[in-house]
Amino acid sequence: MTPRSGKPLSGIRIADFTVHAAGPFCTHMLSQLGAECIKIESAQRLDIFRKPHAVYGRAGPATFDQVASNKLSVRLNLKHPEGVALARRLVAASDVAAESFRAGVMERLGLGYADLCQVKPDIVMTSVSSSGQTGPDSHFAGYAPLFGAWGGLGHLTGYEDGPPVEMRHVMDHSVGMNAALATVAALHRRRRTGEGSHVDIAAREVASSLAGDALTAASAGVRMHRMGNADPQRAPHGLYASRQHDRWLSIAVSSDDEWAALTGIIGKPELASDPRYANAAARVAARDEVDAVVANWAAFVEADEAAEMLQEAGIAAHVSWRAEDIARDPHLAERGAVVSVSETDGGHRMAVGFPARFSGTDAPGLDRGTPGLGEHEEYVYGEILGLGRADRARLVEDRVIY
Amino acid sequence: MQQDTPLAGIRVVEHAAGVAGAWAGRLLAAMGAEVIMVEPPTLCPLRKEAPLFANGESALFEYVAAGKRSVVCDLETAVGRDVLAALLDTAQILIDDTPLQQRPQWGLDREGVAARHPDLVHLSVLPFGASGPKAGWTASEINLIHAGGEGYLLPNGLSAHLFPDRPPLKIAGHFAELQGGVAAALSALSALWFGTGQFVDASVQDANVAVGAFALQRYGDGSIEHRHTRSFRYGGVIECRDGYVELLTLEERQWQGLVHLMDDPEWARDEELNDPVTRSERGDAINAAIRAWAREHDVEELVARAQKLGVPMARYNTPEQILTGGHETARGTFQDVDVPGVGEVKIQAAPFRFSEAPLALSAAAPAPGADQDLVTSGAAAASRAGAAARTATA
Repeated sequence: MTPRSGKPLSGIRIADFTVHAAGPFCTHMLSQLGAECIKIESAQRLDIFRKPHAVYGRAGPATFDQVASNKLSVRLNLKHPEGVALARRLVAASDVAAESFRAGVMERLGLGYADLCQVKPDIVMTSVSSSGQTGPDSHFAGYAPLFGAWGGLGHLTGYEDGPPVEMRHVMDHSVGMNAALATVAALHRRRRTGEGSHVDIAAREVASSLAGDALTAASAGVRMHRMGNADPQRAPHGLYASRQHDRWLSIAVSSDDEWAALTGIIGKPELASDPRYANAAARVAARDEVDAVVANWAAFVEADEAAEMLQEAGIAAHVSWRAEDIARDPHLAERGAVVSVSETDGGHRMAVGFPARFSGTDAPGLDRGTPGLGEHEEYVYGEILGLGRADRARLVEDRVIY
Repeated sequence: MQQDTPLAGIRVVEHAAGVAGAWAGRLLAAMGAEVIMVEPPTLCPLRKEAPLFANGESALFEYVAAGKRSVVCDLETAVGRDVLAALLDTAQILIDDTPLQQRPQWGLDREGVAARHPDLVHLSVLPFGASGPKAGWTASEINLIHAGGEGYLLPNGLSAHLFPDRPPLKIAGHFAELQGGVAAALSALSALWFGTGQFVDASVQDANVAVGAFALQRYGDGSIEHRHTRSFRYGGVIECRDGYVELLTLEERQWQGLVHLMDDPEWARDEELNDPVTRSERGDAINAAIRAWAREHDVEELVARAQKLGVPMARYNTPEQILTGGHETARGTFQDVDVPGVGEVKIQAAPFRFSEAPLALSAAAPAPGADQDLVTSGAAAASRAGAAARTATA
């Protein structure tokens, strides 16, 4: 095949109606992969992630920039009939329409899958919701911690003697990542069959998919419960306090060879041949003793040095990283997993890049920062939809473009 | 095979010992790709990974290998490597999680695969990726959840409040590795969409840094997150008389609904609480009141009333409650799969669907070498032909 340039999804256009975190993260991934993503907003009802929420204990909206970067922004009032008509024209010029309202809202707006198929028969419509497009709970509103609670991940996570644990934004973004995957799969299907599809991603089902091994076991009668950092088949396995304040070392020993290597590193080589710890099952049975031995050593080490030493011996180890560590890591920077984004005001900020590298395409990533509300209307309404300056002025006047 | 599945007609060869690579293959299988596991004579190690069924077989393997095929192939031998090459001649995607230093010996190095199979999407799935200073590092799930930044921030809320001195906590199961699998599958399908054979270098750490993106953004904003302070000012995990619920009110109307749910208690009538910033400041007192109130109520009662009042609240479902849930049953979230030696188990095919009907797994996880005929008949012939062709052009 002749080499060509571009990012993996160059040439794909997305009409993006998503709000909050999960839906926008989906289109954010697709945008980094090269899709042209048009974020549709309205001054009348801003994406609620553009505004602050005091319940998080912060004054500003600290969650919008990452997922909005790279996208084009247009204002469009979907409460206005002409706004809906314009939305349909935008969809007709797109490959994908993505949304994350409660199930049924797009239909009520006149933008349901059937409506969109009328203007674009092979449209791939991606709907991200808390509980899916069908089923008795499909009208439920939800946020990440609720997805985790419904889907079982929350119940299964926690200290053995403690309560369940709430999932935070990683839960939303897992939903978005799965939605991005399903969207690209639907494009493959369109390429093969000529047909579009309505992709339904239920956040609670993403949560349950992430606990799928436990659910599969439970369906056969195995009792699954919270077990903190313990692993049923590995010891030592956990987080160990280093000599530095709040600097923890994660260690997981799977094999007997790794155990033998570890005993050398921690200065207890005699334990390598100690029958009490001879194999994984024995070490798991003596977990508390094994953990104590490692903890006694870890309390005197510098965490990063210890992790490197353990890795050199082939033992799975890593410091429990803070955002600061991620921001400063040369490995992540070299991979483009952490990047610097230029804002229109000339400022720079750190952001997360795409989590893979491609040898045969231009690198995915962020070319632009956060769009201003309606920043790209001339291109989208003018060039893509062919609306003249006077038409656009009239639509602004009538609060259709608003 | 269902012809209308998104990935019908795509063949994937999966050589994976870890959860991330296996999950990438599993998601593609659920969407209709033919995924052929290539197992060593010692078999895929995930076949022994917990959780286990009562008979000692792995429930995890059953979950991550459902719908796949299995071929046993010894890559230590030239014959085995030829069999793999023959399979790859018929495939569009290779998934491999072999550690870098081992790859050349098994014929799985990037350059060798590209030379033999120029049109193939070669998806590498490693804990820290195939390039960069830490490409050679190894990791288990617990290391990866911490390498991605989320581990340090867990637990938050009630657990952090109850046990402030305990070490950070991992998410149950294989959360981090599964993120790596999803991102890897997305990357492979995107490369395939582009249409050029290439090497795709996916990293489980990268995927976790990506889904943990907001921590980095807040760091840039000068706001450092910590598990002891990353709690909702009020709400969160709430203990009821007979279990736990999650409560999160972001919008004003949801807060008002919560006040009604609590039968408009005296303390909530304080007009200053109409200001969300004041509520945030008084979060500890509000939470104490919510917690005391909730302990007098049952989960079912609260959740039902909360729904009516538009208050986002969810029961912390046990696995059993999910497997038999009314919503899950109506949507067909779980598929009954007959597992030899275990009986009927419920497996979720995928967390997405392409119509009202759920995706369907084509079969239970394969027995070792269940599809050996794929390489002993047609593919073996292709192997010989392919080997001859390669020799001829070399």
